[in-house]
Amino acid sequence: MKIKGVVITHGELGRSLIDVAESILEQKSDLEFFKFGWDEDGSTIEKKIKVYLNKHKDAGIVIFTDMFGGSPANLSLRFNRPNVEIITGINLPGILKFLTYKDKKIVFKELLKIVRDGARDGISIISEYLGDRKNGKRKN
Amino acid sequence: MEKEKIKITNKLGLHARAAAKLSHLANNFSSNIFLVFNGDRVNAKSLLGILTLAAAVGNDIIIEADGEDEVEAVSGIKDLFERKFDEEN
Repeated sequence: MKIKGVVITHGELGRSLIDVAESILEQKSDLEFFKFGWDEDGSTIEKKIKVYLNKHKDAGIVIFTDMFGGSPANLSLRFNRPNVEIITGINLPGILKFLTYKDKKIVFKELLKIVRDGARDGISIISEYLGDRKNGKRKN
Repeated sequence: MEKEKIKITNKLGLHARAAAKLSHLANNFSSNIFLVFNGDRVNAKSLLGILTLAAAVGNDIIIEADGEDEVEAVSGIKDLFERKFDEEN
C-alpha cells in the first residue's frame, strides 16, 4: 500500500516541520501542508482534506496534527477510517521517522507505531538521559 | 563480522544532516550495521538511532557490519566519515 501524509497545524508550524525534515534528508517529500488559520471555522480545511483523500483513495494516509484537542486534530477526527489515521502532537523526530519508513515494505499500522514511538522517544530530559547512559539503562 | 574504529573529524560531529547521510548510505547495504560509541550500540540504518549517540568531533566511533557486503559497508561508511560528510568543502 502506498503511504501518503499531510500535516495540518496552526500557523506555519507544519510547513516548517516539513521544510526542516526535507533539508535534513536532502530530498523533497510529497508531504502536504494545510494551514489552519486563526480566523477559520474549519470549512476550508475540511474541503481540502476531502479533496486530498479522494485523490489518494488507494493509499494509506496519515494526517499529522500539532496537538491532541486542537482544532486541526478535532476536525481531522471526522475522517478517521481504516486507511486514514491521525497522529497528534507531531514533532521533527516523528516526521523524520515517517519520511524514512513510509516507502519501505511496511504494514500501515506498524508504520504508525514506529512514527509515534520515534516522536515520543525524541523528547528527553537531558540530565535523565545522561544518567541512564551512565547506568547502561538507555534504550536505542 | 567486519569492524573498524574511526575518528569523527567534521566540526559538527554526528548531527542531523550527517546522520541522515550515514543512515541513507547504510540502507544501501544488506548487512546489519551498527555504530558503537561510549558503550552504546545503535543501528546505523536508523537516523534517530544515530542521533542518540550525540557523538562529537574528536570522538572515536566503531563501525560494525555483519552480512554479505560487510566489507563494502564498513569501507563505504568509513569513507563518508573521512570525507567529513561532504560538508566542509
